[in-house]
Amino acid sequence: MVIERDAFLLFDGAMGTMLQRRGLAAGELPERLNLTAPEVVREIHAEYVRAGADVITANTFGANGRKFEREELREIITAGVRLAREAGAKYVALDVGPTGALLEPLGTMPFERAYELFSEVVTLGAEAGADCVLIETMADLYEARAAVLAAKESCELPVLCTMTFSDGGRTFLGADPETAARTLDALGVDALGLNCSLGPRELLPLVREMAEATGRPLLVQANAGLPEIEDGETVFRVTAEEYAAAAEEMLELGVTLLGGCCGTTPEFIERLRALMDGRRPVERAVRREFAVTSGQRTVRLSGGVAVIGERINPTGKKKLKEALRSGDFAYLVGEALDQQEAGADLLDVNCGLPELDEAAVLSRAVREIQGVSPLPLQIDSSDPAAVEAAVRIYNGKPMINSVNGKEESLEAILPIVKKYGAAVVGLTLDEDGIPDTAEGRFAVAEKIVSRAETLGIPREDIAIDCLVLTASTNQEMVRETLRAVTMVKERLGVVTVLGVSNVSFGLPCRELLNSAFLAAAFGAGLDLPILNPLSSAYMQVVDCFRVLNGQDRGSERYIGKYAGATAPGAVTRAEAPAARVETEEDDIRAIILGGRKEQAEAATRALLERHTPMEVINDYFIPALDIVGEKFEKGEFFLPQLMASAETVKLGFDLLREGSVAAEGPGKGKILLATVKGDIHDIGKNIVKMLLQNYGYEIVDLGRDVDPALVVEETLRQGIKLVGLSALMTTTVKYMGDTIRALREAGADCKIMVGGAVLSPEYAELVGADYYAKDAAESARIAAEVLGG
Amino acid sequence: MLRYLGHRGQELTPELDRRIDELMERCLAVATPRMCTAEYPVESTGAGVRLVGTGLCLTGADIARHLEGARACALMGVTLGAAVEREILLLERRSMTDAVVFDAACTALVECVADRCESEIVGRARARGLYTNFRFSPGYGDLPLELQRDFLAALEASRRIGLTATETSLLLPRKSVTAVVGLFDRPQRSSKRGCESCNLRESCELRRRGTPCRGGGD
Repeated sequence: MVIERDAFLLFDGAMGTMLQRRGLAAGELPERLNLTAPEVVREIHAEYVRAGADVITANTFGANGRKFEREELREIITAGVRLAREAGAKYVALDVGPTGALLEPLGTMPFERAYELFSEVVTLGAEAGADCVLIETMADLYEARAAVLAAKESCELPVLCTMTFSDGGRTFLGADPETAARTLDALGVDALGLNCSLGPRELLPLVREMAEATGRPLLVQANAGLPEIEDGETVFRVTAEEYAAAAEEMLELGVTLLGGCCGTTPEFIERLRALMDGRRPVERAVRREFAVTSGQRTVRLSGGVAVIGERINPTGKKKLKEALRSGDFAYLVGEALDQQEAGADLLDVNCGLPELDEAAVLSRAVREIQGVSPLPLQIDSSDPAAVEAAVRIYNGKPMINSVNGKEESLEAILPIVKKYGAAVVGLTLDEDGIPDTAEGRFAVAEKIVSRAETLGIPREDIAIDCLVLTASTNQEMVRETLRAVTMVKERLGVVTVLGVSNVSFGLPCRELLNSAFLAAAFGAGLDLPILNPLSSAYMQVVDCFRVLNGQDRGSERYIGKYAGATAPGAVTRAEAPAARVETEEDDIRAIILGGRKEQAEAATRALLERHTPMEVINDYFIPALDIVGEKFEKGEFFLPQLMASAETVKLGFDLLREGSVAAEGPGKGKILLATVKGDIHDIGKNIVKMLLQNYGYEIVDLGRDVDPALVVEETLRQGIKLVGLSALMTTTVKYMGDTIRALREAGADCKIMVGGAVLSPEYAELVGADYYAKDAAESARIAAEVLGG
Repeated sequence: MLRYLGHRGQELTPELDRRIDELMERCLAVATPRMCTAEYPVESTGAGVRLVGTGLCLTGADIARHLEGARACALMGVTLGAAVEREILLLERRSMTDAVVFDAACTALVECVADRCESEIVGRARARGLYTNFRFSPGYGDLPLELQRDFLAALEASRRIGLTATETSLLLPRKSVTAVVGLFDRPQRSSKRGCESCNLRESCELRRRGTPCRGGGD
């Protein structure tokens, strides 16, 4: 079976609705009916065949290893495909629905586990003789991505994927239609589209968005309107006639694959058959342009410029190196969020340090950043294995940085770009190094583009980097770079990217020179500057250029940001109020007790003039925190006050750590914290973590839903003396007991404290804990008792 | 909302007061509340109350009492959606104080949404001449949390509102509520939800403070 770009195919309508009409309601596992009531399932399929459907969807929507044992799963899928075939189907689609579990980072199912589940289903379906794989009703683009990858890697059949959108025009996980279309298109699906949740009228504008963003065949299977409740029954009110009328408009938009979802019946399919038989497919005009996505948004240029944040790159950055070595991904995520707030559109992510397993670290970094930031990422590595590992688990259509004109690089990187449908940065250098002239660099760019196109990578997915050299050593080359940018852009029709800050290396006032170069590069045709967005000087140039090139419509953003600013350069990031704080003990105490975070830094600085960092901690911070703890205990403070005070101290601590290594002092010991396996409610653990950090303890935070084995492993490996475990629910407390038992059995020489809503001192004792921490303040007292301090 | 933060009349600094207001606004802006309901006839069996046509059987003495004499029951599921989950993760990275306040605002909001959903069920029942009692959630009394997945399946909650459960029966997105309301032919003794049938009764911080979650107490 081949899904043609210019031929109609008619899919069937709802299975569930038809089952309900026969008194077989939802709620039970309807796939089991393939075994228990095969004649009913076959008859429903046959009705759709008679109505004129080309493709019959096997009754396998919820059949996966999460709901069925392996043997039953095989029987259900085999029977499902067979029943559709026996009903006379021209083509049989293996139906693949969501797993029913939410993926990490919001949920607990790892991407790899979802992949395995889908891979199993698709393998069984292909063995059973399905003609294509229909992945549908996906609300999570990340899960859809796992399913598509699994399907493509487990069989040779065409793969179709449709997403479900809610009334706000986004999926439940926040993807808009364009982002979904571009992400699925990138993976090379044979068709994509929308199904379920809304009626055909409501889907029309979403269909239009998709139609403009992808050239792939579009499949739409709407519900028969929005479900309404009548006498306790769910009813759909759109008639077959109304459905067909809306479907006609979809065909006008260039949709070639139609069918129905909830509430549709053979009557609907008959109407669609008549509609399609009287028409020809409409050719679509697709915007071909550079675009990358995350799971939630698309960044496309449309003639404008986009900023790539450069800060997540350990080269020359001591703190980031340390963070990567110690696995402190919170620091990395902080860098991501800072750049996002400063106006970056994409983020470059580079984790290359010789002593690290780059594939593992880069993948982890991508996951961690995507957990909180919606910005598309640029996966930056010279190691093809690391690139592939990170691109594979990425949510969306990423950008790869980079390929170059060397044979070795072209052969290693371009197949990855093609397989995952990524965008890619092409560096204009080859075996002979960086060509001196613009013409030389253009030639390398041309080679990269042509090699990419040979593999089927579209030109619009390529961004060429003409490479910036340092003005202090290669002054004449600066102009060559700019000339190359113009040539590449005009003659090859690709977008351009440049790392701007190299130009000023070895010269004073680098920001000044970089800003001027950035402006010149924009003038030459630069689309994607890679820069430090925390520099307001660069962002000012970007803001200005977006007025000049028409990207900032009506100069709205510019006016919003700069109205009231007096002179160029006067606009800087908001500064904290000037240090006007006296350093008396009472003052720092008042600042901490009041949770006045904005004064923390100045007050700490002032204290440091007269005291050592250790004195600041022991004589000022800790006593103030103790008072806060007491007030909390007595009920004079409530939780947010306790925390605001702790955060104020944290800012002071950060300053001390920045200032000198000595500030870290002898250290008060490590505490390991984890929310136990199965539990996802970790806010309490995070509160405890923050408070303990501010008492000077080093916290090893294993996160939530943590396997007991990992707790044991890290406790032993790091020689931890105090372990804190949290669990919120009755169903997960048993894992707390398991974890404690595992620690004891492994002979871990540590004390264990536990906390969480369902716990009590008695329960804590029952699960074998040494201490029960009723709140965060109590955990600090326990830590002091166990570790001293 | 403040009671979820353990507030018992402590004086708020103006900064904190303002921040709480801002975060409540933020919660309302970010949340995408959704609800879904389903109605099934019930039958009492030895194993528990079975919902006819589903794989769901509600077990335990409390739910049996709750649905005694009911002709049917309405299941409800509500959620604030994935966006607030993401916002909590984000705030935890930026400021735990903000995260805690935002989290409490979400808890308060999801209860409001559940109230709204419940009152819609009550309204629809009344229009059909049926009577209702209050909503009862898995994990409440001796109704086991473990049946959450069957509960969601009967609601088709994953497809309809994006509400799922973990292997350990915890709802995801976290800021969500599921519950069941009895539908009766006769008026019900106005039974008010209270602490007496709650299995968190002994460890409940809200109850200990004298500000129980339903305003009822014992």
